[in-house]
Amino acid sequence: MSNVKTASQNPQSQVASNGTKKKRGPWREVWRRMKKNKAAMVGLLIILILILSAIFADVIAPYGYDEQSLVDRLQTPNSKHLLGTDNFGRDIFSRIIYGSRISLQVGFIAVGIAAILGGTLGAIAGYYGGKLDNVIMRCIDILLAIPGILLAIAIVATLGPGLRNVMIAVGIGSIPSYARIVRASVLSLRDQEFIEAARAVGANDFRIITKHIIPNSMAPIIVQATLGVANAILSAAGLSFLGLGIQPPTPEWGAMLSNARHYLRDYPHIATFPGLAIMITIFGLNLLGDGLRDALDPRLKS
Amino acid sequence: MFKNKKLLVLLSMVLVFALFAVGCSQPADDTATPGTDDTNEPADEVTVKEELIVGQGADAVTLDPHSTNDQPSSRVSKQIYETLVAQNENMEIEPSLAESWESIDDTTVEFKLKQGVKFHNGEELKASDVKFTILRALDSSHIGHIVGQIDGEKIEVIDDYTIRLSTKEPFAPLLAHLAHTAMAIMNEKAVTEGGEDYGQNPVGTGPFKFNNWVIGDSIELVKFDEYHGEPAKLKKVTFRNIAENTTRTIELETGGIDIAYDIPPTDVSRVEENSDLVLQRAPSFSTSYIGFNAQKKPYDDVRVRQAINYAIDMASIIEAVYQGVGAPAKGPLGPNVFAGHQGLEEYGFNVEKAKELMADAGYADGFDTTIWTNENQQRMDIAEIVQNQLKAININTEVKVMEWGAYLEGTAAGEHDMFILGWVTVTGDPDYGLYALFHSSQFGTGGNRTFWSNDRVDELLDAARVETDPSKREEYYLEAQEIIRDEAPWVFTWIGENLAGVQKNVKGFTQHPAGHHSLHGVYFE
Amino acid sequence: MHRYIFRRLLLLIPVMMGVTFIIFTMMYFTPGDPARIMLGETAPEADVIRLREELGLDDPFLIQFGRYVKNAVIHQDIGRSYTSNRPVVGEITTRFPATLKLAALGVLVSVAIGIPTGIISATKQYSIFDNVAMVLALIGVSMPNFWQGLMTMLVFSVYLGWFPSSGFSTPMHWVLPAVTIGTASCAIVTRMTRSSMLEVIRQDYIRTARAKGQVESKIINQHALKNALIPVITVVGLQFGYLLGGAILTETIFAIPGVGRLMVEAVLRRDLPIVMGGVLFIAVTFSIVNLCVDILYAFVDPRIKSQYK
Repeated sequence: MSNVKTASQNPQSQVASNGTKKKRGPWREVWRRMKKNKAAMVGLLIILILILSAIFADVIAPYGYDEQSLVDRLQTPNSKHLLGTDNFGRDIFSRIIYGSRISLQVGFIAVGIAAILGGTLGAIAGYYGGKLDNVIMRCIDILLAIPGILLAIAIVATLGPGLRNVMIAVGIGSIPSYARIVRASVLSLRDQEFIEAARAVGANDFRIITKHIIPNSMAPIIVQATLGVANAILSAAGLSFLGLGIQPPTPEWGAMLSNARHYLRDYPHIATFPGLAIMITIFGLNLLGDGLRDALDPRLKS
Repeated sequence: MFKNKKLLVLLSMVLVFALFAVGCSQPADDTATPGTDDTNEPADEVTVKEELIVGQGADAVTLDPHSTNDQPSSRVSKQIYETLVAQNENMEIEPSLAESWESIDDTTVEFKLKQGVKFHNGEELKASDVKFTILRALDSSHIGHIVGQIDGEKIEVIDDYTIRLSTKEPFAPLLAHLAHTAMAIMNEKAVTEGGEDYGQNPVGTGPFKFNNWVIGDSIELVKFDEYHGEPAKLKKVTFRNIAENTTRTIELETGGIDIAYDIPPTDVSRVEENSDLVLQRAPSFSTSYIGFNAQKKPYDDVRVRQAINYAIDMASIIEAVYQGVGAPAKGPLGPNVFAGHQGLEEYGFNVEKAKELMADAGYADGFDTTIWTNENQQRMDIAEIVQNQLKAININTEVKVMEWGAYLEGTAAGEHDMFILGWVTVTGDPDYGLYALFHSSQFGTGGNRTFWSNDRVDELLDAARVETDPSKREEYYLEAQEIIRDEAPWVFTWIGENLAGVQKNVKGFTQHPAGHHSLHGVYFE
Repeated sequence: MHRYIFRRLLLLIPVMMGVTFIIFTMMYFTPGDPARIMLGETAPEADVIRLREELGLDDPFLIQFGRYVKNAVIHQDIGRSYTSNRPVVGEITTRFPATLKLAALGVLVSVAIGIPTGIISATKQYSIFDNVAMVLALIGVSMPNFWQGLMTMLVFSVYLGWFPSSGFSTPMHWVLPAVTIGTASCAIVTRMTRSSMLEVIRQDYIRTARAKGQVESKIINQHALKNALIPVITVVGLQFGYLLGGAILTETIFAIPGVGRLMVEAVLRRDLPIVMGGVLFIAVTFSIVNLCVDILYAFVDPRIKSQYK
């Protein structure tokens, strides 16, 4: 939200991001365009439902996420257990509801780590250029040269398993893309007039970067971040599938899926629902990401 | 569609590159295709299949028995090599490369070798090969401990077919150790010539000889025509590496493999109900246990350890996790291990008793603890159920799934509270199944990861190790097991079972309790 | 251009040095003793100590790292696997073709289906074809690929029996893994092609062409496609690299003896020489693929070519 303020306090930025003549904040303009995009609204709705279920998990879920009942194990969906039970007799619906907390947490924190570290590196590289740029980008190249999942596996092996370390591992793995995006947009902004103007009135580099450059390169970062959350959730699920990562009985969807694969053929519902949960979430994030991109880049709108 | 030339060129480049990448890996695949050469056989002959494909969960590490001690490797090595003496499926010692043997004194045994035994490279087996093998084994950091009791300086070659082995002190389980797959007799010349790459060109005396290895994928063995015993009925045996349990079962069901080792409990009913398949069940030497760190509070109190034994409903765990495969364990040894005490009283599921004991120990309000496991599915499942059941006696447990390396290191250093681990008494001898786990000299890396010890148990285990009279040994071991049961350094969990899925037309396959099954007598119907 | 390629290849050296250092450091500080893992929980400590000495594991970090770099640079020897004692190079080169083939098949699937679909979608924006294709593409990126792999295996191999469930030996064996690994990339390529095409179509020179009254198909093929595919090339190149590294899950599910699985096993066993060798191998391949992409880039876009001096 603070971006909205900084952006609107800064008249030049409007010129940079779009050419509206009305005195309307550019973000409100984006929202106006988003509202017209049905797909994006569906995506937003999915994400909102997800966030709500994460917040009110205790209220919504009929059972606890680790409430076992070995007598009721491996039940198919029925009136008592909406989505059936798993191999410990735990209610799958409840676990999926609680799982939204974990997935959102993994998604947002991993992306947060990546965006902050990657963004900072990218901004510094792009703004100062020269040797510093070269050094930073070579480091990014090094990170990029190591396959993401392998890097994540190695990091989890080094740090030990657990939710926190999975988030760090996935986050570090996606630093390069943010660094590159931010660097690219900083490069395109660096020599623009309003930046030069700011420099001329004596603003220091830190101020220029944080007040002028970052807000104006937000668009691609936001799009990348939305899609990045999706990727982070998938990566964490992949790590869980390989048996590394999140600790039981944490109802992480990927871990649920990984566990369910042993029962896949006889009780496909155990694997189906967490799989669907992942799919729908990522589907929503992708719709939203696309919508944001379209809305932030008016040239594409017909 | 594409009238643009450059674009066309570009796209074709991508395609060519892709095809090139696909194509250049072609040759490797031909070797990986099992059973392609049977197309050359005459069609009119009614052929009985003679090529067996076995699926197991990992590729062999090396076929040099002295450079590894893992199950997938020994399952392959078992077909290629032979040992001086062998243990059959009932764990009786039988002659193998040694025709006969006799004790010269308390520490020395004389072996008479079978004559006319050929190695796969054409060399004849001589006593010097045996000496060479044992010296090399003693020098191996991988399996040295298995023959560690043999005195390398006192190996005496009497003639080409007679050899004497001495142990440093009387060592009752010597023959069982010599029957271990790691003690496969190798050919001195082949090993010396093979150098560092011997592990990929193994030479043994067994019914099958090594033919080809597509690393990570499959190992191919062919019948050895000059085998000294009854020749193998199969012409070719291929071991395929299929790591995913589910995939291995599917591959069996779809006919891609003839035998699948280690059918997971979840697939048992599928294999049983499939009319084309037979599920072979046989007792194994593996056990699972939940250990306590007995030097750490509150587990230094025997009442807490007993209380947890009472608080866990092992029967329902076995049912839920192992789907009825195997059996609940009464004590540290299974029934098929020599002197495995089956008269031990089970703790049983008794929450009231558990609560009483907890109160006695001053933990009526329970405590917070952790339970460690590695990422073995069954162990993780057990951990989750235990976590849940211990809530009843107010113990708040956190499950910590660790990666194998870190797990071994952490438990050896005593950083854990509770942990789940297994043990395989490979030799079928209680010394192997108790000494490392319960003797105070074996704390930490030695194998005693509970850090529990008892002077009387130490005494009994030491005495039984050097006692040569079997009935006295049995007595010692039975007493030790009773103490262990009462002192409860473990929650006795589960006794394993070997499960192999076999196509109906495969005959003559039996499983060895130690897991390395011989394919010598297998044939197709 | 040659100088540019040469410079890029030269740049590989520091990158590889960096990769070596990072992975070596991480593996070194990872808890878990390779000797203990190899010997198992049953081996006595004395044997573990002996093996540690044989492998030189007790030396300080810098000495171990220095030894590794020295052997690699001077003797072109990146060692033998701790576990199997086979030379690392052989271990990787026997497994690499499978991974390469898997990734290539994935790219093939994604290009062969993704590009045409993307083009049609863009030219017929908001048509039924476009909508269906875009929803499918979104589902494609949204599915966890190991889940998809298991499901396709379940349906096409267990229930229908059309394809073998594991292995990688004959073209029949390739189908399911290729589809599994290619789906997400295919979806990405489709979306990229579409959006890049849309962007190009709106540009002035296309408008000019339209204004001049050129036939629509000619506009698309002659003018739009060429420019629209430039970003697609990058994406395909990136996907290829990504698939090389991401083949791990597919390899695991379908029991394909590739580098990915080797690497996971090696990390778990702390088999440092294999991990190092494998990462370097994949990193070099990946970088070379990237270089090829950049060269192709220049090939289709003369503006970029003029920058490479």
